[in-house]
Amino acid sequence: MNINKFKPAIVYTIYIAATPEKVWQALTSAEFSRQYFSGFAIEADLKIGGAFIARAPDGSVHISGEVIECDPPRKLTVTWNVNWPALVEKLGPTLVTYEIELSGEVVKLTMLQSHDRAISDDILSGGRQGWPAILSSLKSVLETGQPLAIKMAPPQRMLDALEAMGIGTP
Amino acid sequence: MVAYYPTMDEVFRALADASRRALLDRLHARNGQTLSELCDGLAMTRQAVTKHLGILEAANLVTTLRHGREKLHYLNPVPIHQIGERWIRKFERNKLTALSELKRQLEKRDE
Repeated sequence: MNINKFKPAIVYTIYIAATPEKVWQALTSAEFSRQYFSGFAIEADLKIGGAFIARAPDGSVHISGEVIECDPPRKLTVTWNVNWPALVEKLGPTLVTYEIELSGEVVKLTMLQSHDRAISDDILSGGRQGWPAILSSLKSVLETGQPLAIKMAPPQRMLDALEAMGIGTP
Repeated sequence: MVAYYPTMDEVFRALADASRRALLDRLHARNGQTLSELCDGLAMTRQAVTKHLGILEAANLVTTLRHGREKLHYLNPVPIHQIGERWIRKFERNKLTALSELKRQLEKRDE
């Protein structure tokens, strides 16, 4: 896959009082992700071409992808494809990149969501609503041991836009 | 080295300026713009825009990214989300969303 074709549509940065290794672990392990990502388990085979999935609490695979770039504990790029019928065919693959940098004694975590085509604001509203909550909760888990009590649900405008494109939603 | 961590004071100071809020509005309308694109049509000098973007970036409200030869600016709403989480209780969220939507619908007629 030629990742140079992809342009970031969403870029979020958060500062976390933790080590790069701890942030990397939180992003790539089910033990942590279940706490800050609505009970979803991240299962990652951390090598180029390895499988990257997010498993829903009911055991189903919600997001499936592949490791594209892997430079622990600095950079991870994966394809992040939501398993809703016809989604990848209509929207193309989604790329998610995490960049972990040391900023003084804290970590600057930047998350990028990139696409190889223009995606409407209605559809991007899902990521725009979801990522700040996920990242804030991840920060809270690492700094306090407790996730934030945020109820996450896909925004209606995104579900409506997906349905209008013939993409199946739950 | 001292830990660098944008504080909530920096976020509020960055937001307490109409020009900087206008820049955030422009990024909200279209994310990932270059400095030239952001300056286009604004009654501000390029130097002033650069200075405001620096303050916004230091407050973590704007993230910059190199894409090829271009430097792109992205709105980073994470600190604003954190302000919300601090003062909005989870059971108030749906009511506030409903109120905002009501206001938006009612005011749309005057546009």
